[in-house]
Amino acid sequence: MEFSILALLLIIPLIGAIATLCCGGERQKAAKYVAGAFSGVTLALALYIMFLCDFGDLDMTISWIETEVLTINFALHVDGLSILMVFLTALLSLLVIVFSAAEKDRPQYFHALVLAMEVGLMGVYLASDYFLFYVMWELTLIPMYFMISWYGGPRRHYAAIKFFIYTHVASLVMLIGIFAMGFEALSMTGTMDFSFAFINTVMPFADESFQILVFALLFFGFMVKMPSVPFHTWLPDAHVEAPTGGSVLLAGVMLKMGSYGIIRVCLEALPEGAEYWQWVIIAIGLLSMVYGAYACIAQSDLKKMVAFSSISHMGMVMLGIGCLSEAGVMFAIFQMFAHGLITGVLFMVAGMAGHNFGTREIPLLGGMAGKVPIYATFMMIGWMASLGLPGLVGFWGEFPLVFAFYDFIQSEGMLWLIVFCLLNLMLTAGYYLWSMQRVLFGVETTKIDMAHVHDVSKTEGIAMAVLVGLIALFGVWPALALDYIGDYTSLLMGVF
Amino acid sequence: MFDMSTIFGDYTAIAPLIFLIIGALILPGIHLLGKRCTVTWGVALALVIVSLIVNVLMLTDEYVGETLGIVEYNAYSGAMILLFQIVLFLAVLVSNSSVETTKLHVGAFYSLILAATTGMMFVVESSDLLTIFVGVELTSISSYALVSMKRNDSRAAEAAVKYVIIGGMSTALTIYGISMLYGMAGSTDIQTIADNIAIDGLSIPLAVGLVCMIAGYGFKIAAVPFHMWAPDVYEGAATPVSMFLATGSKKMGLSVFFQIFLVIFIAGTAMSKVAGPEMQYLFAIIAAVTMTVGNVVAIAQTNIKRMLAYSSIAQAGYILIVMAVMTEYAASAGMFHMFTHVFMKGGAFLIVGALICAGVGEKIGDYKGLAKRSPFLAAAMMLFLFSLAGIPPLAGFTSKFFLFSGAIGGPDGVMYEWVWLAFIAILNSAISLYYYARVVKAMYVEKGTTEEKIKIPKPFLAGIVICLVFVIVLGVYPQLLYGFCEAAASALLI
Repeated sequence: MEFSILALLLIIPLIGAIATLCCGGERQKAAKYVAGAFSGVTLALALYIMFLCDFGDLDMTISWIETEVLTINFALHVDGLSILMVFLTALLSLLVIVFSAAEKDRPQYFHALVLAMEVGLMGVYLASDYFLFYVMWELTLIPMYFMISWYGGPRRHYAAIKFFIYTHVASLVMLIGIFAMGFEALSMTGTMDFSFAFINTVMPFADESFQILVFALLFFGFMVKMPSVPFHTWLPDAHVEAPTGGSVLLAGVMLKMGSYGIIRVCLEALPEGAEYWQWVIIAIGLLSMVYGAYACIAQSDLKKMVAFSSISHMGMVMLGIGCLSEAGVMFAIFQMFAHGLITGVLFMVAGMAGHNFGTREIPLLGGMAGKVPIYATFMMIGWMASLGLPGLVGFWGEFPLVFAFYDFIQSEGMLWLIVFCLLNLMLTAGYYLWSMQRVLFGVETTKIDMAHVHDVSKTEGIAMAVLVGLIALFGVWPALALDYIGDYTSLLMGVF
Repeated sequence: MFDMSTIFGDYTAIAPLIFLIIGALILPGIHLLGKRCTVTWGVALALVIVSLIVNVLMLTDEYVGETLGIVEYNAYSGAMILLFQIVLFLAVLVSNSSVETTKLHVGAFYSLILAATTGMMFVVESSDLLTIFVGVELTSISSYALVSMKRNDSRAAEAAVKYVIIGGMSTALTIYGISMLYGMAGSTDIQTIADNIAIDGLSIPLAVGLVCMIAGYGFKIAAVPFHMWAPDVYEGAATPVSMFLATGSKKMGLSVFFQIFLVIFIAGTAMSKVAGPEMQYLFAIIAAVTMTVGNVVAIAQTNIKRMLAYSSIAQAGYILIVMAVMTEYAASAGMFHMFTHVFMKGGAFLIVGALICAGVGEKIGDYKGLAKRSPFLAAAMMLFLFSLAGIPPLAGFTSKFFLFSGAIGGPDGVMYEWVWLAFIAILNSAISLYYYARVVKAMYVEKGTTEEKIKIPKPFLAGIVICLVFVIVLGVYPQLLYGFCEAAASALLI
């Protein structure tokens, strides 16, 4: 039993969450500093691991549950795929705490929930054992449930319970898939160990029919989380009702759990299943992408529009995964990372419309650029990054992905499918530009009380500026992230 | 370890029972002489604790032995006795401070509750249909009286009458089934029956006998369609008694199923598979219907005791998966789920009981704003309910993990036969989350009419804390009890 600093990534936010909870009553004001300090340390640790550590040395395995039939370990592992997600989790958690520093309503609970989320998310990305993975996967639900139902909008109860049950059902289906893999491994090798290392090595040798079946179960669990059309309906509700901080975490890192799961579990363990379902994955990817973008145009609520744009962008991730080629998966992962950074800004901007203007309804807004110039700047950068402007990180998530897809359909002789990608690009540019035009430019609106409109506050500005900085940094220097991903994907593609 | 047989000699196998029998006999006298409720309660609690310690020592010592040729103590009966003792301990612990339990017939109350537990323990130590029957009757008859003891509540009287009538019917069915089986197999010893069935195969009279017994004992575990009495009884009885029935008496019914049907159909010989598949499908259907009806009807409940009653029905449905799958792995998982169910459902009932003492009603609406009034109770209740729904890392999740995985496969690999049952079970888990979350929402999200702090009696607090500790500890460290369950399952199905 060796201890590794990876465990600290779970322990520090956990202690932080408890410490923050203790800041009740008179000490409420201290809550944000306590939470900020703990998540800051976590981020520093994540950066240290990312840049200064050799990943191979960091694995840790502690024997946890051992019965006559099965072995479960508390195993943590980090590699090129998970490190980016770990970084994103640590970053967004800290920025959400900074962004929400002005939270007046029981701030200690809000910040404790953010830290509790961080524990769960870190756990998902670091876990190297299916049992632990599932535990952490479910653990993320509870803080999010409370965040929506305590701090959310008017229909928060409905949204919170819908989110909770919808994703819980999906993860239970996934659990059955996990059982099946465990027992199949047992009958193949005589031992039942739930660790990733064991199952993901054994499973590729299972029968094709078994792989096809179990792939479907696991894939369903993950795709609801992503979420992909037609199982996306919980997301717009959850986003519209969630507080801004909750939305940032939800879209920024929680949705990535789904695509992370597909790559980590479905592709690593069940390559033959993936090949069998390849066209289904691509169809779902295309459908989510185009439908999400199409739905965006119809939205009048700024936040709901951003929520649908998340569905569209996650559809793109799905498309990349569906190519099952090195480039496809590589840029799918990059798109996950890029979307995490961008969507943080998007939801902060959309959420601020609610706090600062009093409404998120696009038709009520207009000509805001003159009144709130800093806000307008952030909005423009965020919107542009998301529609894939070269020089910003979104470009590297989209363009090479379409290229990988093109490569794939060319080899399959289905070149006409590229029409959907073009349609998506067009729709995406359309809804972003159109919404920006309606909100920021034109005649100044008279439908809202302009006296109460105020610009970005200092903490909000800092949070967004950091993200914008990173969007630009990774936009001009994508290799910083691609190096990690490349190492991982070249290993992954070995199984195909 | 300490060898119990130096003290109890030939009677070691019934050592844990002896204290309870003594208690059941002397407690009315003590109450008559002492005239103080607390003294009677103290004596009862002390006897329960001694019995618990004796059993834990025997269990960790892996004692095996028999007494009088009718009862046998082994890893299986030891584990089940432990479970009943925990239930009894929790029920007795809080009974003195509950406002619902009788203040008039205190001696009789403890005497009955101890006698009921003795009956349960006797059942799990038996391997003969008749001794099992006697044990079940001892428990049932004591429970009828326990339910009716909440005298100032008309619901209790109704519940007791319902319980007696339905209980009588179940007894009749059971004894009819046993007589059929005896006629066919020429013995009431379960192992002998198993051997004879294996030779003769399944005949119609035998099937009728088995179905009668399933129906008869199905009443005890409130399996659908024999469940109608449970919500009324749990609602009408004093909360400690409801807890005792929901967590203890129901487990006795399930252990009877294990001892009779698992042993007849899977223990030992492969040839006893004759009647296997039919029975397995019958049980699978009962399990599926029980959990679905339990969960769906629970959604509509506004009284929290009724909701918990329906949720108990559903939980029994989950455990019945074991009867469909019939593997040793599933049996150990099912036993583990029984243990976790004691702590989570017991804890939830204790909170309901404690809140009744504090003047909070039984309606879910009465729980509004509880998080403000008593942060600890609200948090504990939330954890119990989430554990019942199977949210990690709580005990309910871990046991469901084992239990549902038992329907997917076993030591021989994946079993595609029962995957549908596992799907029904997980869908039910999701449904259950809805009504549990409703209580959580009432406690945490909705505003109550008052913000007055709640004070609850100390024994209740102690009971709740014990349950809470186990719900968390068993969630992250299941081996604490899972080892016993594995040993028990293999002892049962040698």
